[in-house]
Amino acid sequence: MKKIHILFTLLFGVAAILFFGLAYPHHLHYQEQYQLFLFDSNYVWDIVKHPGGVADLLGRFCTQFFLYAWVGAFIIGVLLSLVQLLMLRLADWGRLYGLSFVPSFLLWIFLLDENALLSSVWTVLFMELAAWFIMMKPGGWKRYVRIVIAIPLLYCIAWPAHIYRNPSVSPELFSAVVILGIALPLLVYVARKWLQPSNIVSMLGSFIVVAAIMGLMIKQNCNFKAEKIMAYDFMATHQLWNRVLDTVNEEKPNNQIGVTVQNLALAMHGMLVEHGSEYNQNGINGLLPDVQSDATSPMPTAEAFYQLGMINVAQRTVFEAQEAILDFQKSGRCYKRLAETNLINGNYEVARKYLVALQKTLFYSDWANETLPLLGDEKAIAKHPEYGRLRKMAYKEDFYFSDHVTPDMLESLLRANPKNRLAYEYLTAYYLLTGDVQSANNTYRYYQSTSEK
Amino acid sequence: MKKILYTLLTILFFSACTENVNDAMQEKQQPHIYPDYLGVTIPVNIAPLNFNMADAKALCVDAVVADRHGNSLHSQGEEAVDFDIDDWHELLGKNRGDSLNVTVSAKYADGWHTYRPFSIYVSADSIDYGICYRLIEPGYEVWSKMGIYERDLSSFDERTLIDNTQFEGCVNCHSFNRGNPADMSLHIRGKHGATLLRQNNGPMAAYNTKTDQTLGFCVYPYWHPSGKYIAYSTNTTNQLFHSAGHNRVEVFDSASDLQVYDVEKNELILSPLLKQDSIYETYPVFSADGRSLYFCGARALPEGSHKLDSIHYNLYRIDFDPATGKFGDKIETVVDAETQHKSISFPRPSYDGRFLCYTLSDYGQFSIWHHEADLYLLDLKTGESKPMTGANSKDTESFHNWSTNSRWMVLSSRRDDGLYTRPYFCHIDANGVVSKAFMLPQKNPKRFYLERFLSFNVPDFIIKPTDFDGGNASRLINDDYRKDFGVRK
Repeated sequence: MKKIHILFTLLFGVAAILFFGLAYPHHLHYQEQYQLFLFDSNYVWDIVKHPGGVADLLGRFCTQFFLYAWVGAFIIGVLLSLVQLLMLRLADWGRLYGLSFVPSFLLWIFLLDENALLSSVWTVLFMELAAWFIMMKPGGWKRYVRIVIAIPLLYCIAWPAHIYRNPSVSPELFSAVVILGIALPLLVYVARKWLQPSNIVSMLGSFIVVAAIMGLMIKQNCNFKAEKIMAYDFMATHQLWNRVLDTVNEEKPNNQIGVTVQNLALAMHGMLVEHGSEYNQNGINGLLPDVQSDATSPMPTAEAFYQLGMINVAQRTVFEAQEAILDFQKSGRCYKRLAETNLINGNYEVARKYLVALQKTLFYSDWANETLPLLGDEKAIAKHPEYGRLRKMAYKEDFYFSDHVTPDMLESLLRANPKNRLAYEYLTAYYLLTGDVQSANNTYRYYQSTSEK
Repeated sequence: MKKILYTLLTILFFSACTENVNDAMQEKQQPHIYPDYLGVTIPVNIAPLNFNMADAKALCVDAVVADRHGNSLHSQGEEAVDFDIDDWHELLGKNRGDSLNVTVSAKYADGWHTYRPFSIYVSADSIDYGICYRLIEPGYEVWSKMGIYERDLSSFDERTLIDNTQFEGCVNCHSFNRGNPADMSLHIRGKHGATLLRQNNGPMAAYNTKTDQTLGFCVYPYWHPSGKYIAYSTNTTNQLFHSAGHNRVEVFDSASDLQVYDVEKNELILSPLLKQDSIYETYPVFSADGRSLYFCGARALPEGSHKLDSIHYNLYRIDFDPATGKFGDKIETVVDAETQHKSISFPRPSYDGRFLCYTLSDYGQFSIWHHEADLYLLDLKTGESKPMTGANSKDTESFHNWSTNSRWMVLSSRRDDGLYTRPYFCHIDANGVVSKAFMLPQKNPKRFYLERFLSFNVPDFIIKPTDFDGGNASRLINDDYRKDFGVRK
């Protein structure tokens, strides 16, 4: 009976895991791709030397596991449960037991925002630990000593300096978590004589009330539209073209990233020209949209550039996307692609820089170790199924390009290698979408006549 | 448990690279080290030239630096030799104007190898206190974290002056009067755009340099030796990108003019000769005596043309009277690069008035993105130019400037990997003989340069710490107030 609260915590934790694992997995993938955790002393020191650095470091450390959504969901579930368990220790909650879940639920809601960082949860955990350390017995002057120790220590390890990706935004919800994390135990302490005795019914009752209210708030704050967009981005990153087609066949995408990935998947299957009209299109903006200066929207387009063999265009797009990450972090996904584009272009020393950095990661190191021996090995690159193919498909002649992809660029790509099926698909689709049937027919005839040779 | 811990620590301690170089195989060739410090000329006050073996197979590296008088310095390390900084300076101090002999040994799987020693020449000419530079990813249009930093050349200490975590925007064009940070300017671009100016160690102030009579914001500053004027250009800058090959981006002007700012009167001085529509004028610099203004100029392309490889900048000169702030009435061609189908950028006269160094590339003015760009030295007495062979490499050499004694040059080069710009230094004697350039020393150079994904942008000498208050500067930047530049009637 005394340990019945463990059951509620467990229930809460499992709910969080199921939510993030089932309903929000691509938000976790999204988080992972905008950071690059390095097992490197300089990297660690550069983070921990700042106020709140330890919480930031732990947040980043955990986020690297978000590459696998269920592992990420498990980490979030455990951390949110720990926040609740520590909250429980800070006061004798009695009949208001359910309120001990409020900070955890609010953090859950906070994490629904794709720019909210996991360091926020560690920050709250450290704050709770500090409060628990201060409140522990004995009191008197020893408590004052503990306050003197805890406050500067807390500043060093858990100052909330980096809990949100956009540094110019101070998230109010996180402030609410901190305020309630302090206010609720105080409230309970003040009202302690009215809150006892408690029993299983009152505990259950208060838990259900809090869970119901917070559940509604979670539902209201979920961004499933963003989740769908992130799902397309995830499938493009991992080149899951069949899955893309399954997804679009179930529900046609109605956002630019979805349409871009859909068209790339169709083109990868050689279906864009013949079947493109059966799917939602967004004019030529659904093919290779103009690159925006943010970290997210250019990435699927960059994948299309890369697969087409427009290596310099892909390189520029990925580079700019990484530079646009709001909190100045680097990205494992971007580093990997930049290593690839530099390798394909023969810029081996630049590729080496990216690969050596990726060697210091947990989940990209195997790939980096496999790729490093390719540097400078022209024969091995030529034989490589992806890099060899892309070298053949790439532009042979140099020309200038700007922010817009023009049909001339696709035309030039196709003429550089008439067997570039993807270039044919995109160029013909471009003409069809702009109503230029004559040019589409010419491209078809050109491709048929040259690709058969 | 304690025993296990002590045993592990003992194993760790003895497994570290601290051993005598015994039974080494004697190699006939000189070592292949990183950075390449073989035969370089260095200033007496430079930080220790720590180095690594260039290849990744070395298990340990050992170096003995010895002089002719029996003094020596020893270092050994797993990755790099790391000389004691005080001992290093003491040894260099004793050998001013003389050479040092460096014997390198490296341990490989088959044992120790000792290489033929090489020399380092310690010049009698000292170098300025430090350099100031911008650190930025060599990107295109979007920027991540960047800032302005200063580095003490006699140690490894780097200090942030200001970075874009303190404000929203980009910072560039740091400039000092002959390396003296008492006169300093700095540009901020973006939402909080401003030019920060400090004159004669006075308070920093934020200016709006855009006027209704000029093309835009003033850029590429160069201080007049008197500190009373700053030469600026105003440029309409564009970018285009290369579709294939090693070249990535072209930065070019579609219009540009020159003007000189009178610091005391807060006025821009304009001249019709320096704002011709048919000419792109850029990179203005004052001569050592302050009586000439050198600049680069190219024939403008027809509107809408992107024949960027036909833009060739020559080096020009116009008289300037510091007493009145008036320009001469004719422009003189100093170096005609156009006839060679080449292009000049970043003219920098030596402060003794003897030479002028410039970058020569195939076309355009943004030479950092040109792999063929090299440095040339113009003898201002004879008017002859020659390539600075000792300082140049197969890859890009671009921005550069002179130390205040005009005997050292700091130059940007991409020779290391073709993309990331690093500062190098070379000695130039009174006759214009250029020594082999050496890379900015680091405690563990290979690790440092491999792990730093930032270019050293516009490295320039400073004669003392800048004493720049980043907090105050960011307050000025984030404040809306800007003092407007006026224009002389």
